[in-house]
Amino acid sequence: MNAATQSVIETLGLVKDFGRTRALDGLDLSVAAGEIHGFLGPNGAGKSTTLRVLLGLIRPTSGTARVFGLDPWADPVATHRDIAYVPGDVSLWPNLSGGEAIDLLTGLRGGADGTLRRELIEEFELDPRKKARTYSKGNRQKVALIAAFARPARLYLLDEPSAGLDPLMDAVFRRQIDRVSRDGATVLLSSHILSEVEQLCDRITIIRSGTAVETGTLGELRHLKRTHFRVTGLAEPARLAALPGTHGISIDGTAAEFDADAADLGAVLAGIAEPGISGLTVAPPSLESLFLRHYSDRNGSGVK
Amino acid sequence: MSGVVRLALFQARRDRVTLPVWILGITVLGFATSSAVATQFGDEAAQAAILTLAASNPAFLAALMSTFLVVRHTRTDEELGRAELLGSVPLPRAASVAAALLLGAAANLLLGGFVAAGFVAAGLPVPGAVWAGAAVGAVGVSFVGLAAVVAQVLPSGRSANGAAAALVGAAYLIRGIGDALGTPAADLLHVSSAWPSLLSPIGWGQRSRPFTSPDLFPLLVLSTAALVLGGAARLIRRRRDVGASLLPQGDGRERAGAGGTSFVGLAWRLQRSTLAGWCVGAAALGAVAGVLGPLVTETVSSVAPLKELISRLVPGGQAGLIDVFITALLGVAGVFAAAAGIQAVLRMRAEEAEGRSELLLAAPVSRARWLGANLFIAAASAALVCATAGAAAALGLGVSGTPTGAGGSLVPAALAHVPAALVFLAAAGLAFAAAPRLSIPLGWGMLAAGLVLGEFGELFGLPVWLQDLSPFRHSSAMPVEPFDPVGAWGLAVVAAALAGLAAYSIRRRDLTA
Repeated sequence: MNAATQSVIETLGLVKDFGRTRALDGLDLSVAAGEIHGFLGPNGAGKSTTLRVLLGLIRPTSGTARVFGLDPWADPVATHRDIAYVPGDVSLWPNLSGGEAIDLLTGLRGGADGTLRRELIEEFELDPRKKARTYSKGNRQKVALIAAFARPARLYLLDEPSAGLDPLMDAVFRRQIDRVSRDGATVLLSSHILSEVEQLCDRITIIRSGTAVETGTLGELRHLKRTHFRVTGLAEPARLAALPGTHGISIDGTAAEFDADAADLGAVLAGIAEPGISGLTVAPPSLESLFLRHYSDRNGSGVK
Repeated sequence: MSGVVRLALFQARRDRVTLPVWILGITVLGFATSSAVATQFGDEAAQAAILTLAASNPAFLAALMSTFLVVRHTRTDEELGRAELLGSVPLPRAASVAAALLLGAAANLLLGGFVAAGFVAAGLPVPGAVWAGAAVGAVGVSFVGLAAVVAQVLPSGRSANGAAAALVGAAYLIRGIGDALGTPAADLLHVSSAWPSLLSPIGWGQRSRPFTSPDLFPLLVLSTAALVLGGAARLIRRRRDVGASLLPQGDGRERAGAGGTSFVGLAWRLQRSTLAGWCVGAAALGAVAGVLGPLVTETVSSVAPLKELISRLVPGGQAGLIDVFITALLGVAGVFAAAAGIQAVLRMRAEEAEGRSELLLAAPVSRARWLGANLFIAAASAALVCATAGAAAALGLGVSGTPTGAGGSLVPAALAHVPAALVFLAAAGLAFAAAPRLSIPLGWGMLAAGLVLGEFGELFGLPVWLQDLSPFRHSSAMPVEPFDPVGAWGLAVVAAALAGLAAYSIRRRDLTA
């Protein structure tokens, strides 16, 4: 066989227009079999649109999408046979109980694994007898997650799955991702939270305004691991530029902001440790700051 | 401006399309019925008798308008969490209830005025028209109060709407029973309703006798009832938690039942309670045929102009008068069947717009199967509604011992209206498949067009080819007419073609929120 066996998802130059709005603008995305792929982007970047194209729910304006080597628009039924999907905004039937919704959704895919279903309901602490109209957003999310994980699939498409889950339930969710990944399944997980993707995913694609702007392993996307510093009370802020691994320094009086490479954190910390400093904030870089940097990179001279 | 008034104005703004449609629709219906009566019955006494009956239909619709209005702004808001947001502003806890009551009263005042104007425009005497309008408004207001209490008792908008609508149906039916058991006056034109009518607000509205001897007392009773019920609803709301209800939301089953894992099972699950409502309506219609049958036969045969009209409508004049009456009622049941089917089909649109079909269609099953399952349940609904009406009519006639040649064959007679209903629901399916965003106005618009062309086309003097566009025109009007297999098969073929086209189209579009 060919590339289709290695890469479960393959899109090339995917474009999707809704009226005059361009939701996807030449998106290239490649997800290899067995990997957990993070699909990272701010709200409105086109993540959900991409997942819908991959499910054949909407037809791309141009470009190609292949899932398991199949065209999801031409043959949705065959494509869906091995897919479990959790939409970003789970809407359920108000007069069906959670248990009934789970049975309906897994039943349409061929039936749930009984043991798995019981364990998941227990782990996610869902009361399956409650009518869906009484569920909170988090509980509706749990219903969709349980339905997705209660029957083995080869590909899991998860659209911001942990939004609405508390940290305890988020841990349960991560354990399930680990489990299906160990079983050899492929996972495409969309998110707008960098740290979430960082912890779970092998590879990441970053999408902005319908275009993939970066893709690679976390190691390759080294600048994602830069730590953001804000220091006040520096005697000579200009000295920062001399420290190894510092980037994007901006100085305002005795205050300075900059990013530092993970490998050089020790040297940076030693470099700023002086008696006069009055404040220090250290934060992992947010997605927003990443995109801000993308803009400034483009406007500046040095595009990679 | 007080907070309650401000809130009521805000609610009115949310209803700026819904309420005018209700009010104008009811007015047009009242105008159409009464102008038909005014042109076809010269005798004033006969007019008065028929009009009193005819005025109970706007009252029935006013009651429905009122219950949906109140539930929409109280329980449904609470269920969807909007009430919580409003609960954070400095207003009394029961402010939303008070505002909904205020809006309901204003809507019915307006409706009463419009209905009266419609009656006047149709050429009815002005005082009678004003009294009739007031009676319609008063019935509506009483249901504003009743629905406000129901919304406090039941946990969800859906259940509150269902229960309140069932009460409206019961009120209509009880009024009919009261009439049937009543004693006709010497001239056979007035019926003094029996005691059951006193249990029905619609019966009280009728007791105001707008066109014969107007009486204010029943309207005062209705308004007082509205005040008391509205006060009770506010009292309950003041004393309960947001989201709580006197009857709590019961738990569901832990596992899906046997049919709960298929499209057909889901479609049935979503349709069954609405279908029960349509069947109750159809049964009431059938029962009216049976119970009122003897009265109609007597009245009609003793009033010369009516007899003349009937013989004009039914050439040959051999058909029994009771059969004419039953045929007309079964025709209405056919409209019910089409409406029930359209509603079932259009539920797919709600499923899609609210994001649930995305979950369903991510499963390895085709869209055509999803559509097919829903069309199947819609078709079954239409058949069930027709069969119920026919069975109820046969039963009613049997119980009242009315002699009719058609008693046993009324179920097949009612089922003769199914093919036309199939055309409507398949057309709604095609609208959903091809133009999802427009499917709801298109689906109901086609029914309205079919009604206007088919049922009123003759009255308005429209060209025959235009009238013939309505599927209703090709149904066999049994038992007066014999069964016409060509018409029935023709409709069935058109329905199948539309359904096939829908299955083809739905594959070719995006899922659209």
